[in-house]
Amino acid sequence: MGKVRIVHYINQFFAGIGGEEKADYKPEVREGVVGPGMEFNKKFGDDAEIVATIICGDSYFNENLDEAKAEVIEMVKKYNPDLFIAGPAFNAGRYGVACGAIAEAVEEELKIPVLSGMYIENPGADMFKSSVYIVSTKNSAAGMRHAVKTMAPLALKLAKGEAIGAPDAEGYIPRGIRKNYFAEKRGAQRAVEMLIKKLKGETYITEYPMPDFDRVEPNPAVKDITKAKIALVTSGGVVPKGNPDHIEASSASKYGKYSIAGVDDLTEETYETAHGGYDPIYCNQDSDRVLPVDVLRDLEKEGKIGKLHDFFYTTTGNGTGVKISKSFAETFSKELVADGVDAVVLTST
Amino acid sequence: MDKIIITNNKLVHQGYYEKVETLFLGDFTYLQVLELVRDKIHKGHKLLTHPLSGSVKPNETPFKSIIISKKQNVMSFADLSIIEESIASAKRFMGNQVTPAWSEKILNDFRIIDLSLIENGICNMYF
Amino acid sequence: MHLELGNIFINDVQFGSQTKVENKTLYVNKEELITLISEDEHLKSVDVELAKPGESIRITPVKDVIEPRVKVAGSGGIFPGVLTKVDTVGAGRTHVLKGAAVVTTGKVVGFQEGIIDMTGTGAEYTPFSKLNNVVLICQPVDDIKPHDHERALRMAGLKAAEYFGKAGKDIEPDEVLSFETLPLLKSIEKYPKLPKVAYVQMLQSQGLLHDTYVYGVDAKQTLPTLIKPTELMDGAIISGNCVSACDKNTTYHHLNNPIVQDLFKQHGKEINFVGVIITNENVFLADKQRSSNWTADLAEYLGVEGVVVSQEGFGNPDTDLIMNCKKIEEKGIKTVIVTDEYAGRNGASQSLADADPKADAVVTGGNANEVIKLPPMEKIIGDLSIVNTIAGGFDGSVQKDGSLVVELQTITGATNELGFNKLTAKGF
Repeated sequence: MGKVRIVHYINQFFAGIGGEEKADYKPEVREGVVGPGMEFNKKFGDDAEIVATIICGDSYFNENLDEAKAEVIEMVKKYNPDLFIAGPAFNAGRYGVACGAIAEAVEEELKIPVLSGMYIENPGADMFKSSVYIVSTKNSAAGMRHAVKTMAPLALKLAKGEAIGAPDAEGYIPRGIRKNYFAEKRGAQRAVEMLIKKLKGETYITEYPMPDFDRVEPNPAVKDITKAKIALVTSGGVVPKGNPDHIEASSASKYGKYSIAGVDDLTEETYETAHGGYDPIYCNQDSDRVLPVDVLRDLEKEGKIGKLHDFFYTTTGNGTGVKISKSFAETFSKELVADGVDAVVLTST
Repeated sequence: MDKIIITNNKLVHQGYYEKVETLFLGDFTYLQVLELVRDKIHKGHKLLTHPLSGSVKPNETPFKSIIISKKQNVMSFADLSIIEESIASAKRFMGNQVTPAWSEKILNDFRIIDLSLIENGICNMYF
Repeated sequence: MHLELGNIFINDVQFGSQTKVENKTLYVNKEELITLISEDEHLKSVDVELAKPGESIRITPVKDVIEPRVKVAGSGGIFPGVLTKVDTVGAGRTHVLKGAAVVTTGKVVGFQEGIIDMTGTGAEYTPFSKLNNVVLICQPVDDIKPHDHERALRMAGLKAAEYFGKAGKDIEPDEVLSFETLPLLKSIEKYPKLPKVAYVQMLQSQGLLHDTYVYGVDAKQTLPTLIKPTELMDGAIISGNCVSACDKNTTYHHLNNPIVQDLFKQHGKEINFVGVIITNENVFLADKQRSSNWTADLAEYLGVEGVVVSQEGFGNPDTDLIMNCKKIEEKGIKTVIVTDEYAGRNGASQSLADADPKADAVVTGGNANEVIKLPPMEKIIGDLSIVNTIAGGFDGSVQKDGSLVVELQTITGATNELGFNKLTAKGF
C-alpha cells in the first residue's frame, strides 16, 4: 500500500483555539495537520500522513453526542482515510470520553481501524478500552512526545492490518480480551516456576489477573435515624419525564440532579427511566419502584426519618465504567455533605 | 427433612417427591430455575448444592436441579454471590450459542445425568 | 518409597499375529484383544482400529485415553482396586509403553464429546495426536443403562492397557527414571534448607460421567487424603469422567501427571516436594466446605510453605478451586493454581465462575470457547455426526467438505488443568 492516509481528531484546546470558554466549539475540519499532528507526521516519515484534522469542543461533543458523532463521521468520510486517530487526551476527562466515543463510532460506521491515547485513569479509557485501542499515556500534555512515539508505530500496524501484539509490547491499555497462544513451556512447569518465585518473594506474572475487587467498608450506623437527613441516589436511571438532560440509556457520561421538593409520589405522568438495561415497563408505570420517594415521604411523616433531601441524583448504571461512576459520586457526594445529608439510600436495578 | 429440591427434571421429581419436598417446574428453562433459586435466596433460603453442578455446559443441558433449605433465615451473601455468578456464567454460554433442540433420547440422557448429580449424597444430608 | 519407571519407547503400532513389543513397535493381536474385551456382558461388539501420528484420522467421541503399564517389581498391580487387588502401589519397578496409548470410544449418552485429530490444526491442541493409538470401538447391548455403559467402556480401556502393558514386562527399557518419596520427617531432614512443597490435586467427583476413582473408591465418597506421587504413576487414580473433553483428566493424564513430574524435577534443587493431597469436587456445598477445610488443614499439618493446586472440569469446580486457594493462603501457605478459561468466543467475558484476590498466581490452559476450524480427515473412527451435538459444536459444525468448526472445548485434553500442554491465554 502507498502512504497511509490518516484523519486526526483533536479538541479546541490542542487546536490552540481556547480552553474551557471555547469548549462549545462546533466540529470543524482543516486540511493537513493542526497541533499535535505535526509530531505524528514527523514520526510517520514517508509511511503515513495526516491528511485532515477535525477540531471539536469537548462540551459540544459530550452534550450533543449523536449530532456531533454524525457530523464528525461525515467529515472523516470525505477524506477516505485508512486510519483514524483521536487524541491523545492524557488526563482530560471529557476529551478522553469524546476521543473514545468518536473512535468507536468511526470504526463501526466506516470500518476503518482507529486509535486513541489516554492516561489510564481517564474515564474514557475505562469506557472504551474494550472497543478501541487506547495507548497508555502520561497524565499531562508534557507526555506528548512519549505518547506519539508509542502511538505512531501502532497506528501503522493497525492501518496495514498487521497482527497486534500483547498490550505490554505495543503499549496499549489491555482490552480485557483473552487470546490463546502456545507458550514455550508447558503449564505444569510454568506453575512450578511461578511457585518457586512466589516462595522466594520474587516478582512473577499471573497468567490470569483476577477481576478488580473494590470492596467498600460500611460506614458506622447512623446514630439517630429519626433525626437524619436522607438522600436518594440511584443507578436505575429514574429521571423527570422526557429525560431533560439526555442521560444515556447505557454507558452514561453524566448524572442528573433533580428536585423532589414537594413531591410525594412519582407517577407515570411525571417520571420515567432512561435505563436501557432492564425492562422499563414497571418503572415507567411507577418510578417509586426504583426510587422510593413515596415510602420515604411516609417515613418522614411518621417521624421515622428526619427529612428527605430535596434533591435526588441519578444515572444509568448499565455499562457505565467504574471509574466514571466513581467520578460522579466524588463530585455529588461533596454536595451531599455540604447540604447536610447524613445518609443515602442507594438503589440499583 | 429441611430441604426443598427445585427442578425442571421430571426424573428428579418422580424419584424424590415422596421423600423430599420437591418444587417441580416442568416448563422452566435452565436459566429460569437458576433465577427462581436466586429469588428464594433473596428470601433467606440457603443454597445446599452448587447451581453449576456438573461439567455439562449451561447451553447444553436444559435440565437443572438445585437443593435449598426449607428454613428461611437471614439472606446469605455468600450464597447470593454463588447464584449470581452462576446466572452470569449461564448467560455467557447462552450468548455463545443457545441450547439446541435435542431429540427425546438425548433429553433423557440429560435428565439421567442431572438426576445422578443430585442423588449422590441427598440421603445422607443431615443439615 | 522408591519407584523406577522403565520407559520402553514405542514409535509404531501394527496389527500382528502376536501381541508383543519389538524394535520399538507395538504389535497387536486383534482377535485376542477383541476376545478379551468382549468378555464384558454389557458389550455387544468390539472392534479395534489403529491411529498413528500424522495419519488423516479423526477419533470421536473419545471417552478415555490410557497408557499401557505393567508392574515388574514391587507390591500390587497396575490400576489397584480396579483391575488388581488393593495392595498399595508406587514402589519397585514399573514398565511403560511410552508413545503408545489405548483410546476408548463409544456414545454413552447422546451428547458425548471429545475429538482427537491425528493431523492438522486439531492435532496441535491434543497431546494424544503424538501417540500410537489403539482405538477400541465398543457397541453396548441394547437398552443398556448409561451407568453400566460408562463402566463397561471404562473397564474395557483399562483392561486393554493392562494387556498391552504385559507385553513390555520383559523388555529392557530405553530409559529408567527414578522417583523417591521419603517419610515426611526424613524428607525434611534431608533438605532442611529447601521450602517444603505439596501438590493439591482436585478430582472430578459429581456423579455419572463425572467420576474419578482412587484405588477403586468413588472419589465423591472420600475425604481429602495424602497419597504418594509414585502411586499415581501406578494407576492409583483412574478417570470415569466423560464430560468437558478439553479439561477433564483422562487416565493417561493421571498416570503422567505433569505437576508431579515437574515438582520432582525441582525436588532437592529449589524445593522439597513432600507429597500429594487429593481432594474432590462435589455438588453439595457442605462437601465443598468440608473438603476445602480439610485440604487446608492437611497442608498446614504437613508444614509446607507452598502448594500447587490443580482443577478438573468446568463451572462449579471453580468454587472448589477458589475455596482451596483462599483457605490455604489464609494458613500462610503460598499457592499457585492451575485452571482454564471460558471467556466466550470473542474472549471478552469473565473467564471463571468464581474469583478471589488471594488467587494472585494463576496458570491457565487457555480459553476453551475459542473457535477453531478442523480440516476434513480421510478416516473417521467413531461417529462424526455426534460433533453437532457436543459442547462447543453447534448446528452446522460439520461443513460440506467434512471440515469442522468447533470450540476448543470439544478437543480431548486441549485446555488441560494439570498444565499438560503449552497452550495458555493472555489478556489483549
